[in-house]
Amino acid sequence: MRMRECIFPIYKLRCSLSSHLILLSSLELGNMNQLSSKMATISGSYPKGGQDKPQISFEDQWPKMQPTIVKLLRQESVNRPEWQDMFYSVHQVCLWDEKAAAKIYKALQENIAEFIGQAQQRVLAHSEDQALLKAYISEWRKFFDQCSYLPKPFIQVEVSLNNHPSNNSVGKKHRGDDSNVRKLMLDSWNNQIFMNIKQRLQASAMKLVRAERNGEAFDSQLVIGVRESYVNLCSDPEDKLKIYRDNFEKSYIEATESFYQVKATQYLQDNGVQNYMRYAFSKLKEEETRAKKYLEPASGSIQALMDCCVGVLVTAFKDQILAECPGMIKDNETEKLQLVFKLMDRVPDGIGSMLNDLEDHIKTAGLDDMKLWADVITQDSEKYVERLLELFRRFSSIVSSAFCDDPRFLTSRDKAYKLVVNDTSVFRLDLPTGRQGPAVKTQPESRCPELLANYCDLLLRKTPLSKRLTSDDIEARLRDVLLVLKYVQNKDVFMRYHKAHLTRRLILDASADSEKEENMVEWLREVGMPADYVNKLARMFQDIKVSEDLNSQFKEQYRLAKGPIGDSINIKILNAGAWARGSERISVSLPLELEDYIPEVEEFYRRKHNGRKLQWYHHMANGTITFSNSVGRFDLDVTTFQMAVLFAWNQRPKDKISYENLRLATELPDPELRKTLWSLVAFPKVKRQLLMYSPEVQSPKEFAENSTFWVNQEFTVIKNGRPQKRGKISLIGRLQLSTERSREEDNEGIVQLRILRVQEAIIKILKMRKRISNAQLQVELVDILKNMFLPSKKMIKEQIEWLIENKYMKRDEADINSFIYMA
Amino acid sequence: MAASGATNDEMMDIGGAELDNNKNEKMFTLKKWNAVAMWSWDVECDTCAICRVQVMDACLRCQGDGNRQAGGKQPECVVVWGECNHSFHHCCMSQWTQQNKRCPLCQKEWSIQRMGK
Ligand SMILES: [Zn+2]
Ligand SMILES: [Zn+2]
Ligand SMILES: [Zn+2]
Repeated sequence: MRMRECIFPIYKLRCSLSSHLILLSSLELGNMNQLSSKMATISGSYPKGGQDKPQISFEDQWPKMQPTIVKLLRQESVNRPEWQDMFYSVHQVCLWDEKAAAKIYKALQENIAEFIGQAQQRVLAHSEDQALLKAYISEWRKFFDQCSYLPKPFIQVEVSLNNHPSNNSVGKKHRGDDSNVRKLMLDSWNNQIFMNIKQRLQASAMKLVRAERNGEAFDSQLVIGVRESYVNLCSDPEDKLKIYRDNFEKSYIEATESFYQVKATQYLQDNGVQNYMRYAFSKLKEEETRAKKYLEPASGSIQALMDCCVGVLVTAFKDQILAECPGMIKDNETEKLQLVFKLMDRVPDGIGSMLNDLEDHIKTAGLDDMKLWADVITQDSEKYVERLLELFRRFSSIVSSAFCDDPRFLTSRDKAYKLVVNDTSVFRLDLPTGRQGPAVKTQPESRCPELLANYCDLLLRKTPLSKRLTSDDIEARLRDVLLVLKYVQNKDVFMRYHKAHLTRRLILDASADSEKEENMVEWLREVGMPADYVNKLARMFQDIKVSEDLNSQFKEQYRLAKGPIGDSINIKILNAGAWARGSERISVSLPLELEDYIPEVEEFYRRKHNGRKLQWYHHMANGTITFSNSVGRFDLDVTTFQMAVLFAWNQRPKDKISYENLRLATELPDPELRKTLWSLVAFPKVKRQLLMYSPEVQSPKEFAENSTFWVNQEFTVIKNGRPQKRGKISLIGRLQLSTERSREEDNEGIVQLRILRVQEAIIKILKMRKRISNAQLQVELVDILKNMFLPSKKMIKEQIEWLIENKYMKRDEADINSFIYMA
Repeated sequence: MAASGATNDEMMDIGGAELDNNKNEKMFTLKKWNAVAMWSWDVECDTCAICRVQVMDACLRCQGDGNRQAGGKQPECVVVWGECNHSFHHCCMSQWTQQNKRCPLCQKEWSIQRMGK
């Protein structure tokens, strides 16, 4: 049996069964041991240290071993006996001759050197790049294969060398890849051939890669083979990739860089920036694919190369590329922007300026749009919200299609959109700054929250809009409002208006859908509106239910006592804490018909409850009256104030009554009377008004004491252009619940509440911190209040002063910029 | 009254309606009234001196319980009046009297005059 046939199957199993090899060799070794002990018995003496010339010496054995070694190096056939003899000889000589290991090692070294010298000559015989690479790779592969076999028979040598006191540092790792003989082989190759021709190898390999970059085809296995030789060549167990990294990787990266330094500049000059961007992007991809082919995986090489490519292809032209960005954002060129984004995202600090560009665009485009539509949107909250949402969708679609919804760009969108929403150049809400009434100085805020609240009212109230929309549409639009609301700084203003509208809807039974009303409260909670605000709304719903029960009880009793007339009254008795804290009550002299009910209701309530007092809120009350004139009979929905005014004519239907006398009859305060009369003489969209008056004026303020009013006997409801004999009309309009001073008061109320909130928050922080610097206090304060409003520096300062004055806190004597809590 | 352009027939109708009004009913008659009133505890001081919350709102403890319940439902939290006429949340006063049998405001011995309902 020829050795070649023996080695071959082992060679095939090399990777998966290296232990098999070791097993085999120790098996062989076991046989040898038996043999040698036999021999020792025969010769009669076992070698002990310090004996005469060994019976089996290196010098005797080497001539038998050497031809096999040379055959192995040359990958020539070695038959089984030859192979087994090698083990036997090595074992024997090491057993008998204590100096044999060193001698064998030295002799091996010489033989390997000689072989490598020959191999080098064969390689260098080729001058053409591809042929040289081919020759080298083939020599190397053969040699490298043998690095796995040649060391096998010399395990005994390894043991002896490693046990030698001077070699202790090598330790006991003498097997497999770490074997001394293997290391000897690799180091010899490295020093003898590799060092001499590595420059030529690299140059040739890089030439091939360069040719590939220029579109020429070649056998990529040549480059891959060179790389593998670099990787395998290293015998340093600490850093097996050292030779590869210091040589192959380095020259690959350098070659790539210098290639693109020329090409990229050229391409940019010839094709312009926008085409260049595409070029750079495709080259980055191409180089990544190539690197995966030619560079060692899991070595960090690919990352290093890509860093280099990004540097030479992108970073070098960063300014030119970024300069394109603002125009692209403006023109919504999302594909190109995506390219810029993908390129710049790989550059250190590449997208910073893109974020700024996006923010600038949103600010400018948003505000320009608002100004363009100012006339419409300041009048129409629906249009306003639509515009805002349109803008939001537009900006979001850029962020999504151009910047892949990258969180950094989303943050920029939010930041800039917030500025648009809170901008005061188109709408402003003037809030008094001082604590004493409507001050001269005002601090403008966006009217956005007010308009959002108005829009919600349109959706939640019975209106033409809410009737037109499906339930899902309404829900979707309410969600839209919540989306914009997230960006509103003064959320407290929204809540105040929303609460006013809700109050109005609940008291007038004007909600389009009570389930949606209550859902909205929960949605407000979900988007993070302050809990105490939301809880107040929830409390109103509970309270209105309590009141409904009470109303049915009252009506039942009243019907029993007074007959069907009980049907003509409904009562809402509400918890003042939930509905009307601090709100103004307006006195009015009720018509007798209404006045009669009052004691009945009060008596009923007194019997049901203890310790409660009732206050009538007639400006919230309303009803239906029947009006008869020459044309017909009409049902009119009116406020209680309108009722009080109209009933003044019941005693004298034909009379003209002066303003002064109406005031005496109704006892309404001047502004309310004017407003009420105006609603009866000039109700919007009514063709024939209920009251006539003289002299003509342009606004309610112009009514004089002696202005006269009389009932229009030709009043009628006009339907399809024709007067009707019967009909129903509501004259309540937007009158109810908003008293003349209410708007001003609303705004003042907001300021009062903010002052209170700031004080509370300061105390809360101080209680926790005991001592805090002014700067830190400001930060924590804004954090606590941010879901409601943004407190101005001035307001904070004033409240700190007030709290110091009132001994809730004091300045630190040691540090004037710090405050201390005073319990 | 100016009725320019009106025909004689219309003038007669007006006369007829007028007659009806005088005989049977007033020009404006009430059909339905939706009255609104607010109730509050009949107290001299709006704020409970024990928990510093307005008596119209639930006391601090009940507010906490309410917030913990889904939907922020507020339990019934009534007011109590002492013989001294001072008033507090009943919850707060019950707690207080476990420690001290005197009114926190006037130090008179606490005895309940009436309970809110
Ligand atoms: Zn209390
Ligand atoms: Zn309570
Ligand atoms: Zn007392």
